[in-house]
Amino acid sequence: MKTLALAAVEAGDEPEGRDSTLEAARAGDRAAFDLLMRRHERLVLGTAYRLAGNLEDAQDASQEVFLRLYRNLAKLDTGNLAAWLYRVTVNVCHDARRRRPSTVPVDDAAELAAAGGDPQQRADEAERKALLLRSLRMLSEKERAAVVLRDMEGLSTADVAGVLGSSVGTVRSQISKARLKMRDFVERYSRRRL
Amino acid sequence: MSCAIWDERVALFAGGDLETDEAAAVERHLIRCAACSALAAELRSGLDGLREAHAEPLAAEHYAAVRGRVLAELATPPRQRVVWTWAGAAGLAVAAAAAWVVFGVMRPAAMPVPELPRLVAVAPKVERPAPRERGSNRPFKSRKRIGWQANAPAPLGKVGKVGQTLSSVNRRVEPILTAAVEDSPVRMVQLATADPNVVIYWLFEEKGEER
Repeated sequence: MKTLALAAVEAGDEPEGRDSTLEAARAGDRAAFDLLMRRHERLVLGTAYRLAGNLEDAQDASQEVFLRLYRNLAKLDTGNLAAWLYRVTVNVCHDARRRRPSTVPVDDAAELAAAGGDPQQRADEAERKALLLRSLRMLSEKERAAVVLRDMEGLSTADVAGVLGSSVGTVRSQISKARLKMRDFVERYSRRRL
Repeated sequence: MSCAIWDERVALFAGGDLETDEAAAVERHLIRCAACSALAAELRSGLDGLREAHAEPLAAEHYAAVRGRVLAELATPPRQRVVWTWAGAAGLAVAAAAAWVVFGVMRPAAMPVPELPRLVAVAPKVERPAPRERGSNRPFKSRKRIGWQANAPAPLGKVGKVGQTLSSVNRRVEPILTAAVEDSPVRMVQLATADPNVVIYWLFEEKGEER
């Protein structure tokens, strides 16, 4: 069953079950495929960026996702395209991290603290957001994927479970632990700055 | 310091991930517990910050760069595929040539073509026995002795002598032949091959008028 969150992602001007852009892309129309990429690029690059942690790796991952999309156009079910893209994006990012482990230290609160500047003076909104995004790196791959899909992309817990191939219970556990870890990271960072 | 046993539930509560009854239980606890209430506020604030950060769009050039790389990649493969196709064909040709050289040299002498089977005997056409008369006490003789025309160069239509003794080899097929003969006007031809251990029996049924 498709939940509202994913249905909203896939909703377009086309009647349900029919996507002329996808059909044209399947027929080999490169312009249609370009349009298809534009339609889903925020989903793919945005998710990959949060999972990978840097733009360069995110772009590499997005390129791979769209190439896989092109190769699998004939087999894809139109109604599940967004879920398919999320799943492939997560998998590609995981594969990339396995091949090339992140060079950013896991516990880099100290690094942040030493980065310069008084956090009380630089505690503006941008800094706070940057800190929160940085806290994503404290998470395991599965926790990060769960948080990115649930808390940033806004998928339901059931949709996240479907994308990650986990149970809803597992996803809830990952999400709760991840939120607490991130909050602890932010708190530790703030304490060290004082 | 929040209550450890409530932490995970508070974390789920902050993101709206609890069922109604669970959320109500957490709300009741938050009213009584200042630490957990503060934790919930921090978690909510953090989640809001994450959503806001994620909602900020990336520069259009980043998306365009990805699209450009994908389209360039899609434009490239056909040429590469042609190259690989030719490379594959060349590889196959080399492999085939090597196989021809290796197996051609190592091939044993050509197998001798076996001689065609030679007709050695023709069984006679057996007539169906007359139906037994009603009330007759005479036992019905179902078995008929099959005769052979040994080394017969004669046409198949020629009937051999009935009652001619079968060879020891032929005796083994006699019961089968007899059973077949009882049901239909079957004829049999024995063919010898170059291998003395291989004898061919050709059973056939004649239909229509005899020539």
